[in-house]
Amino acid sequence: MIATATLADFQRCFGRHLRDGRAALPSGIDRQRAAVYRELLGNNVRSFVDACFPVARACLGERRWSALCRGFFREWPGRSPWFRDIPREFVEYLTQACRRPLPPWLAELAGYEWAELAVETHAAPLATRTPPCDVLESRLGLDPTMRRLACAWPVHRIGPDWRPRKPQATGLLVYRGIAGRAAFAEAGPATFALLDLLDTASQTGRSALQHLAERLGRPADPALLASGADTLRALADLGIVIEDPS
Amino acid sequence: MSFFELAPENWARRGGEAGRRLRVLTEHHPFVCHGLSLSLGGPSPLDRDLLRAIRAFMDEHGIGLYTEHLSWCDDGARLYDLLPLPFTEEAVRWTAARIAQAQEELGLRIGIENASRYLTPPGGEMSEAEFIRAVVEAADCLLHLDVNNVYVNCRNFGLDAERYLAELPLERVCYVHVAGHHVQTDGLLIDTHGAAVVEPVWTLLAQVYARTGPQPTCLERDAEFPGLAALATEVTRIAAIQTRFDAASPALERAA
Repeated sequence: MIATATLADFQRCFGRHLRDGRAALPSGIDRQRAAVYRELLGNNVRSFVDACFPVARACLGERRWSALCRGFFREWPGRSPWFRDIPREFVEYLTQACRRPLPPWLAELAGYEWAELAVETHAAPLATRTPPCDVLESRLGLDPTMRRLACAWPVHRIGPDWRPRKPQATGLLVYRGIAGRAAFAEAGPATFALLDLLDTASQTGRSALQHLAERLGRPADPALLASGADTLRALADLGIVIEDPS
Repeated sequence: MSFFELAPENWARRGGEAGRRLRVLTEHHPFVCHGLSLSLGGPSPLDRDLLRAIRAFMDEHGIGLYTEHLSWCDDGARLYDLLPLPFTEEAVRWTAARIAQAQEELGLRIGIENASRYLTPPGGEMSEAEFIRAVVEAADCLLHLDVNNVYVNCRNFGLDAERYLAELPLERVCYVHVAGHHVQTDGLLIDTHGAAVVEPVWTLLAQVYARTGPQPTCLERDAEFPGLAALATEVTRIAAIQTRFDAASPALERAA
């Protein structure tokens, strides 16, 4: 029991206990009733985490997953007032702070599962379909809701029935598909580099492909431009690459 | 159904399909904002960015009323649930000043809800109802009266609900909640919003209207959803009680 002199002292002391039942209670607080709050708060945070990470949960198993969620609430100082950010904070906890022995791919898998939520709830309104543009001559940019995941592990194939033994570089694009639902596409290193170029500076497709050729140490010949244009058209069809509105 | 309520922390700055659907709903029905994350009694600086987002959200959707809980939900970092304040002069001053700050930031008076609780923080210098009155009067804000929370707290702490109501600043009521709760095996009532409204709460609701006149009232249901028909029955019952007090002149005038 810790005697607390001020309101803020009481709140910090009780908060510590709510996150970690081993921490001392503020004096004057009933232990059983404090346990009621610990359970309510733990379950509440857990409900947001569970909803976002079904695959990571299934891979880890219920006992380890529960311990991980408790560790997250105990150890990670969440800052966001938005409940939809709790899963993002969970991914940050896994990548920055969690000291538990976990499968080496778990944080990347969680980042992949979170990307679905991030893409669907992004503040941007649903895109309206625009007529196809000339991808070589138009200025192009990236849809702001799209996320590029450059993973060391093949996270899109991981599940309780299959876990990778060794890393395998994997590029994934998560974007708004039909009715704003998250959709996923695999993308190779050249496509990733092309998207990086468009992300860095809005430019015409031709200019981006010329820069890409430079990076790859290849001439920007008609064959490269033609296959690059095909890629850009496919990305534009998915709404990943958009005609720069500015 | 004359209006709906939502938590801005779930809906503000949200685009995509959910944002589109919400827009369709707010174009056709009135909504009320009932916040969860402002932590009015909390130790961290007041979240001005959240207030700006709520203000913009209310403007975008034409929402006129915002209410928050008389509680705290952070200890420097987010705890994501509502915790009880000690009934002290210090907590009155601290919380009232922050409510006033929030009202200034939003450019409107807000309603403060009496929160449910399962323990009494130490150091109390007044009753719960006196505490609520002191805060809303010092902040010059409105009272969002949750009738189920009155019942839950009175049952959990052996208080007399009618006396508790009589001590509240009912002249400031702008908005009312009713809901059901869960009864634990040890008798503790938990404010789950996952059951039907109990008879004593209906009785208290009528007693409130007798003092305040009929007020906009939301039936809260967050879990264990029954069919829509069961919910409609409860909403109809609210309307029926409101009608009983419609013509009667309220015993108290609304605060100016």
